Amino acid sequence: MRISVMSQMQRSFSIDLPSLIPLQLPSRRYTHLWYVIPDEVKSTSLLKRYSQLLSQTEKDGVDQMRGDELKKNALLARTLVRTTVARYQTNKAFDPRSLMFKKNVYGKPEVDWQNCNNQPLHFNISHTDSLIACGVTVHAPVGIDVEDKERKIKHDVLAFAKRFYSADEVNFLATIRDPEAQRKEFIKLWTLKEAYVKALGKGFSAAPFNTFTIQSIPGTEEGYSLCKTSEVTADPLEETKKCNGEWKFALLELADSHYAAVCIEDDQANEGAPMRVIVRKTIPFVEDQLISERIFL
Amino acid sequence: SKLPYNPPPRIYHATLKRVLRKASSFQSISFGRFQSSKRIRLQISCAAKPETVQKVSDIVKEQLALSADTALTAESKFSALGADSLDTVEIVMALEEKFDISVEETEAQNITTIQEAADLIEDLVQKKPTAQAS
Repeated sequence: MRISVMSQMQRSFSIDLPSLIPLQLPSRRYTHLWYVIPDEVKSTSLLKRYSQLLSQTEKDGVDQMRGDELKKNALLARTLVRTTVARYQTNKAFDPRSLMFKKNVYGKPEVDWQNCNNQPLHFNISHTDSLIACGVTVHAPVGIDVEDKERKIKHDVLAFAKRFYSADEVNFLATIRDPEAQRKEFIKLWTLKEAYVKALGKGFSAAPFNTFTIQSIPGTEEGYSLCKTSEVTADPLEETKKCNGEWKFALLELADSHYAAVCIEDDQANEGAPMRVIVRKTIPFVEDQLISERIFL
Repeated sequence: SKLPYNPPPRIYHATLKRVLRKASSFQSISFGRFQSSKRIRLQISCAAKPETVQKVSDIVKEQLALSADTALTAESKFSALGADSLDTVEIVMALEEKFDISVEETEAQNITTIQEAADLIEDLVQKKPTAQAS
């Protein structure tokens, strides 16, 4: 479908936006995970409304994308962020157009609260061709990554892992005989590692993939923990791994089609307590659908 | 796809390469000559060879499953073509294989356009211990 809405917008008078249904902030250790399926958003008039929400920079960003599908997904991604963050504001008539965004010194997108300091809300976004997700937390940075479960890796999975993952992760993947199962575990690890780096918010150079290991917690079905390999060791036998609980992970499946990893910085006061993820599917201004509420140890 | 600028003719390239090889083999060349050869080198290494840009474009098209007639320029941004971080890493791996080079993770992350990839490749190829042929 063609999106020539940007030029139309300059000429048209403002279309009245329906109001957004407000939301209660998540509690500590909760992540609210929202997702949109682009294929389910077909209405041209709805997409026009969405484009009205964007700042000029965001519109330019959408225009830069090559092809209608990429433009639409970029539009939906910015719309999801703006409308979701707006709904959590205590002012019930909060206009999503008034939100401003900035990047931290490492390039991680954040809300620019202007003069309102001490805002507890954190968000992070991730998308593929067919799904856009936004995670929201309070008082703790969050990182989200989604990947298509069926995504094919063009290179040999083990060769890729040897190049980029940690030694322990390579060993883990090497034990998986079935190539399809191995590919799936590779993708799961990718989303978990990406989610961590995004939660950390300091760019990839602060946490190169081969300097940390994410592994299943034995005895749990979906628990994962992070171990960092020590930086400089003269003696490789002395290499220590620090596996602490500073970062909590959740790995879920969304829409039967995607892996989604959530990483949140642990609440020091409640160390060891489980994290919870509430998943909702949404079409901004149209509908929300509660999908699941899960606990991750 | 058409390139945005005219590649220099082959003869010019070969002549300049001969001059550079001569210049670099004299450790104690006169100041004047060293300056001029350095200037020539700078002119050549400002932008990657068109062939390199083309090879990078081909690899990007393949990784991102773009149609063969997608118009890519040297300025094309990976993100605007729909590449995510996993795509970028796969593109870098394919470039490493194609050009027999090794790219550091931090270098790889700084690549955002086809031009930047081509420039980095040529820089790394030039730094390889074995002198490149042609």
